[in-house]
Amino acid sequence: MSRAYLTFKYAFIAVWASFVAGPFVWALTTSFKDANGVQGGATYLPWVDYKPTTRGWQDIFGGEGGVNVIQPFLNSLQITVLASAISLVLGSLAAYGLSRYTYRIGRMKNADIVFFFVSQRIMPPIVLVIPFFFLLQFAGLLDSIPGLVIVTVALLLPIAVWVMVDFFNNIPREIDEMAMLDGCHPFAAFVRTILPNSLPGITVAAMFCAVFGWNDFFFAFRLTFTEVQTLPQAVVALNSSIPPWWTLSAASLFGISPLVLLAVWVERYLSRGNLAGAVR
Amino acid sequence: MAQLELLDVGHCYVPGEGEDRWALKPLTVTFEAGKTYALVGPSGCGKTTLLNILSGLVSPTRGRVLFDGADMTRRSTRERNIAQVFQFPVIYTSMTVYQNLAFPLECRNWDSRRIDAKVRTVAEALGLGDRLKEPARKLNADDKQLISLGRGLVRDDVAALLMDEPLTVIDPQLKFSLRRRIREISEQFRPTVIYVTHDQYEAMSFVEELLVMKDGQVMQQGTPEELFESPRSAYVGYFIGSPSMNFLDVTQDGSGVWLAGQRLAMSWQPPAARVPAEASGAGAAQAGVLQAGIRPEYVRLASAPGPNTFPARLQAVRDHGPLRVLHVEIGGQRLALKLAREAGVPHGDTLLVELPRAKVLPYVGGQLATVVAG
Repeated sequence: MSRAYLTFKYAFIAVWASFVAGPFVWALTTSFKDANGVQGGATYLPWVDYKPTTRGWQDIFGGEGGVNVIQPFLNSLQITVLASAISLVLGSLAAYGLSRYTYRIGRMKNADIVFFFVSQRIMPPIVLVIPFFFLLQFAGLLDSIPGLVIVTVALLLPIAVWVMVDFFNNIPREIDEMAMLDGCHPFAAFVRTILPNSLPGITVAAMFCAVFGWNDFFFAFRLTFTEVQTLPQAVVALNSSIPPWWTLSAASLFGISPLVLLAVWVERYLSRGNLAGAVR
Repeated sequence: MAQLELLDVGHCYVPGEGEDRWALKPLTVTFEAGKTYALVGPSGCGKTTLLNILSGLVSPTRGRVLFDGADMTRRSTRERNIAQVFQFPVIYTSMTVYQNLAFPLECRNWDSRRIDAKVRTVAEALGLGDRLKEPARKLNADDKQLISLGRGLVRDDVAALLMDEPLTVIDPQLKFSLRRRIREISEQFRPTVIYVTHDQYEAMSFVEELLVMKDGQVMQQGTPEELFESPRSAYVGYFIGSPSMNFLDVTQDGSGVWLAGQRLAMSWQPPAARVPAEASGAGAAQAGVLQAGIRPEYVRLASAPGPNTFPARLQAVRDHGPLRVLHVEIGGQRLALKLAREAGVPHGDTLLVELPRAKVLPYVGGQLATVVAG
């Protein structure tokens, strides 16, 4: 490996890393500025260019004149965790069925059914929001956490099914056949021999679900009014005619922190190829 | 153990396919309780399909599966209580060796003390006794296959033990001892064993009956001796035995059977070949050509001319373990014969070979000719 190549490689990585990390660093510095710090050109170094203050952070946790994002944060957390869990359970079951058994609905075969699931996400959300509104209104679930959980499950399920079908297709069929020969019901074979081997797949699906569920603004915005507010709504609500960049930055950083922590934590499950050598 | 019967069972993987293209053409077979069987045949001949139909992993397109007379065709794999070992080891990667071996018993709700005793006995027999706590995925392929085998052996009440080329991935040295172990186990517990292999030696060495399969059909079922002594078709003659059986084209007229211009006496007189007048060329050859079949083991070198003795030209000599195989030519047709190594290689390339009458079998159109009464 030549020196030039190494130099190029690390230079490229450095550029790419700053490109990715730049906005976060910028948001982080901005969250410690005040009006003086953001007006009149860019400032970079705390204590040198501007005087750091925790005003922005105080404002989002119920400081005077600000808002409290704790309750929206808890709402978002409940909705995301519940909806992701339901989607993963239902999605894995559906995916396992689609991976191991042959179905036919009219002219549709297994692959078409999987595509049908995914196609739910092709539709623009605006098409769905009006029917969702009426359905939730009919069930009396508008402006409630259960209502949002149901809607979020509908959004996450296709992703879970899609990811898990692909994953189960790569698990050798002999494993469940062997489990049935050893005396398992098909369901027990799934739970006892396939699921323990599916951790990387479940992790990927869970990550997708968490990201999409956590970031949903549109449906929460349309289907709730006063009782329930999610974190993305709360962040947007901070905005005004003169944008308070410091509180917005603080709220954004606070908003993405759970996902960043989750990503760091689950990374180890992604890289572990637990299934290598199950067959052959 | 149980007696397994297949009644008119056939299977096709592509719905609506013509019966001549089915993976398994409709057949009726009985596997008697406590006997050891081997299914042999080339890849894709339906051996594995047949096993999977017995174990319920494949539901047959047609026919019925009976265990001890009870119809199991629609019963699940679990209810059939069959142990099956696949060609490649299948292990539960998330479990230890012990958990892998205990799994079939846990599924059947045995109590833990009984499970423990049984698992230890089997692990000991397989030489895995001191590795029970290791994660199964850390083992090498040989040992993984031992686990697969062990999971089949922990249950002593299985209806049958089905083995689908279980020794393919096993190291040759271990193969020998493992084969012996399988034989010991089958002699000790007397389960009904159906063993799939394409290695005829493996099959001949420990089974009571063989089924030779080709293109989804059973060509012949019989003891190793029957298949060796009187293969019912040229295919079985080719498939069983090494080198395979010799088949020589012969002609027949009113006075007898002729090979290279000399009279050839056979075990029995074949019926007069009926070649349709309009058939010609390859079609005629396949339809009714008369052939003499003889195992290389039975061809002898002769020192003086006599009945059924033919002049031959030596073409090649091959070593074949403790034996030598001589390839000779009689009237332009190739013939192999086996000689003991100490017999030495004959001098010169012209020799006399004797085809003992009792071992020369007549084949018409690739099928063993029937004995003509009188």
